[in-house]
Amino acid sequence: MLALSDAFAKPVTGAGVSVEGDMSHAGMAPVFYQSKEVEPGRYRSDIKFSMPGDWTILLHVTLADGTKVERQIEVPGVAAN
Amino acid sequence: MAAQPQSPVDLDSDSEPFDLLRVPGIGRLLSWRHSRTLLQIPPLILGAIMIVHGFFGPSLAPKNLATTLGWVQFRGVLVLVLLCAGNFFCFACPFMLVRDAARRFFHPVLNWPRRLRNKWLSVGLFVALLFCYELFGLWSSPWWTAWLIVAYFAGALAIDSVFKHASFCKFVCPIGQFNFVASLISPLEVKVRDKGVCSACSTKDCIKGRYASGPELVVIQSASNQRDLIQRGCELALFQPLKSGNMDCTFCLDCVHACPHDNVGIVSSSADGGMAVDLVRSGIGRFSRRKDIAALVTVFTFGALMNAFGMVSPVYALEARMSRALHVRNPAPALGLIFCVVLIVLPALLLGLAAWVTKAWSGSQLALLPLAVRYSYGLVPLGFGIWLAHYGYHFLTGMLTVIPVIQSAVASLGYPLLGEPRWRLTGIPVRIVQPLEVGILVLALAASLILIHRLAEEDSGDDVRRAFAPWVAVGILVWCAALWLILQPMDMRGTLMAG
Repeated sequence: MLALSDAFAKPVTGAGVSVEGDMSHAGMAPVFYQSKEVEPGRYRSDIKFSMPGDWTILLHVTLADGTKVERQIEVPGVAAN
Repeated sequence: MAAQPQSPVDLDSDSEPFDLLRVPGIGRLLSWRHSRTLLQIPPLILGAIMIVHGFFGPSLAPKNLATTLGWVQFRGVLVLVLLCAGNFFCFACPFMLVRDAARRFFHPVLNWPRRLRNKWLSVGLFVALLFCYELFGLWSSPWWTAWLIVAYFAGALAIDSVFKHASFCKFVCPIGQFNFVASLISPLEVKVRDKGVCSACSTKDCIKGRYASGPELVVIQSASNQRDLIQRGCELALFQPLKSGNMDCTFCLDCVHACPHDNVGIVSSSADGGMAVDLVRSGIGRFSRRKDIAALVTVFTFGALMNAFGMVSPVYALEARMSRALHVRNPAPALGLIFCVVLIVLPALLLGLAAWVTKAWSGSQLALLPLAVRYSYGLVPLGFGIWLAHYGYHFLTGMLTVIPVIQSAVASLGYPLLGEPRWRLTGIPVRIVQPLEVGILVLALAASLILIHRLAEEDSGDDVRRAFAPWVAVGILVWCAALWLILQPMDMRGTLMAG
């Protein structure tokens, strides 16, 4: 679940949020998911990591006015099921 | 010389061996004096691009050319070329192009120190490289990868600007040592075509080089002789008529260009790379007396396990347990212990025990250490098979991932000429590659067992099985470890330092 808010802590609605997951090793395919806004300013993605290890999540956000924002989140030590 | 056994190639050379330099087109290209320079230019450009992108490009390894080209494409193509041809990566080495350019201005006058004229330093550097690779997660860091390339250029330049000949290649370069050992099983080697021609040769240009004013003058002129040099001879002290196998050969082809009789080719090698026969090799001596080369071969084989070992879940769990037991947060001590066990303790135990059993069963006259040294070469095909399975896996499963990285890199310059990056491109599915890995390991074990059998035949004519059996056990144990490793699910951590 991702919560988007502006500088005044007001929820950012109507944004397009795509999620990209990359492994730490080159040569591995990234995974892509599109997030869905489930309530104002809150976006949900069900991400399936394709293998254990360290992952980096890249959030590609397109705001309603067309502005693009990118954020990076580290997800270390994803374990196998 | 007369008592020396003939090389395996000579024994069964009724027909003309394959010679790459006789192949139309490619033979002509490689025979051209400037072919090496020509083929060094693309790797030099790629190296420069990798450095720039590593320092200034994306910090994520899968999006950076330094890590993608370096740890996926380069390593994969390297082992495939070694398997299918020979040491052509040393041939196209960009570090030597820079060194040769620098030597137009610096003329080294020192010889490499006598105490260091062996493989011990390069074995240590090879281990250090493997250790840093695991500890700092080099595969996940474009920045560190770029620094590694810079360090390589600087190291080659510094050493070969001070010391004469190819000191860096022969005594320092860890990649070169990897290539030297792996190319022992390559199908091609640089070799004289007709030894009779060499017997009649008086100039020995293949080792001395060719000079405008004749080789005799060189001795007198010392450092200033660079001006008279038309064509270098072998910088790695490999005298062609006494050269056997690919150990220490960079495929630079200086001997090919220097030979006034056109008597050096790139010919088919014996299946065991000449390792079964304990010849006196030019620039090397007998393999059985080279403890340093045996150590290199051992690190090559067990290092293949170690390098793959660092990417599976059970190892991370083991490291975590060891760190807790040692009461340290830094993973370096635990990793150091694992390295000591895998690269020193385990080989010493396995090879020592096998040598002891061999001596007890076969009644060999050799002492334990010479026995272990001699048979350690039997593990080369298996070690190479493990490297091939590992690097081949990354290359085949990720061979197309470089395309979107190139598209992205070009687009980042402001010229999206190659279109939108196609990040979904990968390579051959794991379900296809994994059986290939198993097949490679099976073939590698078979090759090792055949080589060990030949070594046993050489040593104990009466009952080969008694000398053969202990080393079969060693080979099968290493093989089982490799098989277990490749069947583990991959678990790629960015860096052990991050926990």
